[in-house]
Amino acid sequence: MQSQLNNEQQLLAALAAGERTATERIYQQHYHIINGWLINNGGSSADAADLFQEAIVVLYGKAQEEDFRLTCSIGTYLFAVSKHLWYKKLQQQNRGPAILQSNIGGDEDEIEIAYEDDINVHTEREAHYEQLDSALDQIGEPCRSLLKAYYHHDKSMQEIAADFGYTNPDNAKTQKYKCLARLRKLFYTMQAK
Amino acid sequence: MSVNHNNIWEVAEAYLSGSLPQDQIIEIKDCLAADTVFANEFYEITNLIRSVEGSGKQKRFRGMLRDIHAQQQTAAAPKKAKLIIFTPQFWKTASVAAGVAILTSTITIWSINASIKRHESQYNTISREVGAIKKVQAQQQAEQANLKEMVNKASKHTPPPSDVKYSGTGFALTNDGYFVTADHVIHHDGKGDFDSVYIQTHDGQYYKANLIFADNTKDIAILKVEKKSFRFGKGELPYTFTAAKAGLGSRIFTLGYPKDEEVYDEGYISSRNGFNGNNMQYTLELPVGHGQSGSPMLDEKGNVLGILAAVGSQDEANTYAIGTKALMELLNDQLPDQKTIRLPKANKLSRLSRAEQIEKMENYTFSVKVYKK
Repeated sequence: MQSQLNNEQQLLAALAAGERTATERIYQQHYHIINGWLINNGGSSADAADLFQEAIVVLYGKAQEEDFRLTCSIGTYLFAVSKHLWYKKLQQQNRGPAILQSNIGGDEDEIEIAYEDDINVHTEREAHYEQLDSALDQIGEPCRSLLKAYYHHDKSMQEIAADFGYTNPDNAKTQKYKCLARLRKLFYTMQAK
Repeated sequence: MSVNHNNIWEVAEAYLSGSLPQDQIIEIKDCLAADTVFANEFYEITNLIRSVEGSGKQKRFRGMLRDIHAQQQTAAAPKKAKLIIFTPQFWKTASVAAGVAILTSTITIWSINASIKRHESQYNTISREVGAIKKVQAQQQAEQANLKEMVNKASKHTPPPSDVKYSGTGFALTNDGYFVTADHVIHHDGKGDFDSVYIQTHDGQYYKANLIFADNTKDIAILKVEKKSFRFGKGELPYTFTAAKAGLGSRIFTLGYPKDEEVYDEGYISSRNGFNGNNMQYTLELPVGHGQSGSPMLDEKGNVLGILAAVGSQDEANTYAIGTKALMELLNDQLPDQKTIRLPKANKLSRLSRAEQIEKMENYTFSVKVYKK
């Protein structure tokens, strides 16, 4: 267990791979900071959990990119993204400052814009996934369960063949491709609308 | 397998996972450039697969976050007693490893010594972490979360069904989990079978692996990481394989795990044949330590020339490596169930400095741990 998650780059690489130890460490190092800040800014602990988890998902999404580089520390990044997400939420509820309260200028404005970009990319991706999910919900059985088992629950073709009563993994695989073809039709028809 | 309407999903899936052979990638690129209808269809399909995969991964990640949150919130008042859990466990490990060490022989590199060192340092790691935690975390609750994390880590990431018996090094053959090591790392020179094999990657994570095929005369074993979605790195493997025998005096280098950390060594080919004139092997002038069996031996451009296998007896300081030719023969003729393993064809190392080459290779070389009761 000589975990070498000491430097931030390794932590980020492990986070990108969805590894639990790294994610736990990031969570436990930074959560209380955001929680504390939010309580002073009109939020609750439940809000803090949602907000912080969303910010980690933003970071997770960004870390998937091939040429990913973080120009600041993980803590700074998560804090900034959480703040942005919170102000955005307040803005949507019409009860908060429309503009980010910050007294920083110059170079740091560019960094702020970078966070904004990351959040926009994230929001778009969320909308895309949501559409995909609704297509998946309309696709009908057994495709819906089969695709969910493979993609959402990370089941192997062997397990799926056994669970769904296919004689072998190859048959299950053929069925998976048929289901994907149906999903494609549904999804792109929905998008065209 | 050329692309047609029936297999386009399969081809697209293989294309995305990086398991498509180079010649087919070229074929597809030609089609994409020549046929816009096909190109549109192919992009739509790859985009969809990418989205479904990404969405699934993200769902699992969100689930894990909720779980972590719940776990860290429910962490109650600290119970220092939890620390004691580690002590007996590691004493036991150390004593078993010490018992095994008596069996050490000098011919092969797999190392029992290395496993003792590893256990001792695991112990050190834990005590060091506890110190750091106390310093950083003033709040009791946070401290408890930390302890709890460590307890979880100990149970999740140190998976021994029994203790580590042998350790060696392995390196990737394909990005989706196939790798190679020396057969004697796995089978301990034919003296019985193992219970399970795990790899530990350079970031400290453990993954279970299954044996695909082993050849004890060639001293090569092919394994695959069990987890379906496992990838060694983000991109294709950076190195390539060369079966042609390299010349006498060629400079070579290796990366391996004789201890907790990855170790780099360099040397040269001192004879084109190996132990007792074995022409499937090389003889090397290369300082190696226990635990480096199974490490890749590469030329300066990043082509894998062979797999480190053995050192001579103590007065004879030679190191032996199995040539890549033997590996290729095994992959071509001996794999069970019509499995095919396609070796990477694009070399990303040839123009890099040595330090950059090593950095690129880190994800693809790892420690191989063999467990046996």
